[in-house]
Amino acid sequence: MDVVAAPQKHTVVRRGPLRLLLSILRLGGIGVNARFWVSIGLLSAILIFGLLGPALLGKRDPLRIVGGLYDPPSSKVWLGTDNFGRDVFTQLMYGTRTSLTIGLIAGAIATGIGVAIGTLAGFRGGMVEEALMGFTNVVITIPSIVILILLSIAVQSRSILAMGLIIGITSWPWTARAVRAQTASLRAREHLDIARLSGAGTLSLILWDIIPYMFSYIFMAFVLQFASGILQEAALSLLGLGPSNTISLGIMLHWSLLWEAVRTGAWWAFFPPTVFLTVIAFALLLLQSSLDEIFNPRLRRK
Amino acid sequence: MSPFQRYLLTKTGWYLLAFFLAIAANFYLPRLIPGNPVDALVARMAAGGGAEGEALRRIYQHYISEFGLDRPMWEQFLVYLGNLARGDLGTSFSVFPARVSDLILKALPWTIALQLPAILLGWILGNTLGAIAAYRGGWFDRGAFVGSLFISSIPYYCLAIMLLYGLAVALPIFPAGGGYSYGRLPTLSWSFLMDALRHYWLPFLSLVLIFIGGQAVGMRSMAIYELNSDYVNYARSLGVPDRRIISYIFRNAMLPQVTGLALSIGSLVGGALITEIVFGYPGIGTLLFSAIRQNDYPLIQGVTLLIVIGILLANYLVDIAYGLIDPRVRAVQAGER
Amino acid sequence: MQPILTVDRVHAVYRLPNGAEVHAVDGVSLSIAEGEILGIVGESGCGKSTLASVISLTARPPLYVSEGRLIFNGHSVPLTALDRVPNDWRGRVIALLPQGAMNSLNPTLRVRDFVVDVLRAHDHSIDRRIAIERARERLEQLSLPPRVLDSYPHQLSGGMKQRVVAVLSTILNPRVLIADEPTSALDVSSQRALVNLLLELLERQIIGSIMFISHDLPLLSNVADRIAVMYAGELVELGTTPQIVRAPQHPYTRALLQATLVPERTIRGRRIEGIPGQPPDLRQPPPGCRFHPRCPYALEQCRRERPPLETIEGRQVACWWVARQHRTVPSMEGLAP
Repeated sequence: MDVVAAPQKHTVVRRGPLRLLLSILRLGGIGVNARFWVSIGLLSAILIFGLLGPALLGKRDPLRIVGGLYDPPSSKVWLGTDNFGRDVFTQLMYGTRTSLTIGLIAGAIATGIGVAIGTLAGFRGGMVEEALMGFTNVVITIPSIVILILLSIAVQSRSILAMGLIIGITSWPWTARAVRAQTASLRAREHLDIARLSGAGTLSLILWDIIPYMFSYIFMAFVLQFASGILQEAALSLLGLGPSNTISLGIMLHWSLLWEAVRTGAWWAFFPPTVFLTVIAFALLLLQSSLDEIFNPRLRRK
Repeated sequence: MSPFQRYLLTKTGWYLLAFFLAIAANFYLPRLIPGNPVDALVARMAAGGGAEGEALRRIYQHYISEFGLDRPMWEQFLVYLGNLARGDLGTSFSVFPARVSDLILKALPWTIALQLPAILLGWILGNTLGAIAAYRGGWFDRGAFVGSLFISSIPYYCLAIMLLYGLAVALPIFPAGGGYSYGRLPTLSWSFLMDALRHYWLPFLSLVLIFIGGQAVGMRSMAIYELNSDYVNYARSLGVPDRRIISYIFRNAMLPQVTGLALSIGSLVGGALITEIVFGYPGIGTLLFSAIRQNDYPLIQGVTLLIVIGILLANYLVDIAYGLIDPRVRAVQAGER
Repeated sequence: MQPILTVDRVHAVYRLPNGAEVHAVDGVSLSIAEGEILGIVGESGCGKSTLASVISLTARPPLYVSEGRLIFNGHSVPLTALDRVPNDWRGRVIALLPQGAMNSLNPTLRVRDFVVDVLRAHDHSIDRRIAIERARERLEQLSLPPRVLDSYPHQLSGGMKQRVVAVLSTILNPRVLIADEPTSALDVSSQRALVNLLLELLERQIIGSIMFISHDLPLLSNVADRIAVMYAGELVELGTTPQIVRAPQHPYTRALLQATLVPERTIRGRRIEGIPGQPPDLRQPPPGCRFHPRCPYALEQCRRERPPLETIEGRQVACWWVARQHRTVPSMEGLAP
């Protein structure tokens, strides 16, 4: 074998979290991707509003009644009041926080389950793979909205954590399927043979020799799951199956639809949550698509 | 047994399993609700003063025997399966004594009439737009891509709310919701159809726009992926003309898009439940919404079952069609790889 | 020796999205004679595959040709404007045998349909049956099974696919075949089969000559008549195979040979060494000779001035040190490694 001319395609770049961050910053920083920075800007603004807003403006109870039915915006209530006379601005802050939290829990759980099943199936192959993927394919074909509706009905009192859990355990199959394909393509790599020969077990191989190589991929899958978790929460809340005793962007929309905010022209009740959901969804999708182009130059045009 | 038959058989097996699991979930999950749903229902009816004494007892008896609530769980499940096999989805709680299947059959045509044309039109326009964007490149591509990405990333119900406010309230061009004017009765008359059509445009528009965006983004990235592939470069190096190469690209990029179309048609029932709620459109979504509000479990179960059947059927047909069309799948069946 | 194809002063750059330019090929000139196999060797990233795509008329963004011409039979075409190259050059004058045939064929097209597309590209009126018949005859002539025509690409094994691609690349009897690392993805027996196939094509005068690009110097020394050595986008040495293998002049060629197990008497028994250091960043290539940071013989002049390609000892070498040695010591016998 020639030493000098060993072609580079056999050397693998290990993408740990730090490397990942560096490559994002390097590529994002030199203007490859204006979309990347737009999405980061939008997301930071929403995060700061939802997480720091209550801290900066003082804690308030979003469910406290401060006025009448659909009071228009004023210097006292910046975004007016909702159908129960509650302050929309305060609701928006806490609702954003709830929606993000549920999305985060759901995204983390879905990505966790998906990566576990996908790497195990892709790495072990054979019967394990067939069984796990058969199960995944069965779960994938059962529409998640149905399971979500049924589970939400079964769980009468729904905490934020329960909502995140319910959404997370119904949305992992896509991640599992994609991660399995990636793992299978890694399976044949030389460095895995070396690690295997040195006596490493399945778990250690997956943790140290497979996952680090797909970190960018897993991260993108998480971004998608995060976005879909937020939207699933909103959809369930709109159907009347949202988290109990709290406020979320979806619940705000639910009440404003039920109390005819749109048809009576009380724009302040439904417009802010609509815009927030749209911006969050758009920013996360934009982030995902720009990361995709950073990591997969083949998708780049010119 | 031919490879295709074997493929057909395994696929059928998996789908039957999925169907069984879905039915089991559909049966079991609502029964997890603490307490007996029928007790709760009857208590509410009594409190509401809707029915009294003998009538109330009759209603109670009807449900207990219909669900077999006095029997063990596995027997209840067998009763449920038996009823399903006869197409009996039970009696609604909220609209006693209406059959669930009748309520669904009344709402379903509205949902299909709203969604099917929107899906088809959105698919055609979206794929055309995506293909042109991928091929043309430049400013057209950038504009079409960012626009489509934006439209398709808007949650469909958010777009519906904004359109409803913008085009029916702020600028009253369209009626503000409903499937037809208040006080009219659905008949097959010309004037009713025209009235229904007037109420149709806004929800239709909100769905078509989302479909166009989603399809265009998908088609564009598929086509760019194919454009960059090695076989395109190789065919070019041998002088194969561009129009031939474009036909390769679009044929290959179309395969997943056709799948997408079949799947969206399959998920039509559950695909845009909230659009109907936003517009107060008298379809399955609105039916489900009121069922959830009134804890009408038989009706909820009926709707979820319908959604499951649609999606499983579409997936199944797509898998079978793929086995027939795509040579790569065919090869896997035949064990050639 | 009358050249059939001359490649004249090719400069090619990759324009990165951030505006940086990578000068992957910098002023390379070559010519190839009828019946000749010209090997091009170098480390990965030295620009040999870039050169292959430029010469085979398949350069595409982000690769741009900023300078260079091809001269064939007295006709000269600019490489800077590929749309001005007559289409019958592609596949007839020059054909590409691509790296990794795995993805070079459209997965949803049977081999015979691709054959028809290629032949029709150059003869619009050719009948489909005649086109397929011609391919069948060619396959039989080369002792390959004609049934591959009815296969989809994935149905062929890796080695067979590469041989089929070789037949497809030469179906129009090109005068120059650009073989870009054709054997790198193959096992040893498939490598040998492919090389034999290429030799047979040349022997039967189906093709005029082969430009064989590879990182595998032992392989090239067995098949090539002449070898060109590239480093960092430039040609550093070009001579007959015995000259390059037995008496390399350029320090880089020597290092390359040292790092390679070559069963030649003069080299055998030497310690295997890598070349210290790494190839330069072609966004900012070092001034002077590009090899000087890794060269054990680097002179002051090497850091400042680019060495020109000079004819020394019957071959072309671009090296100040070799030029100086040659001036002070008239005979090179004792210096050969």
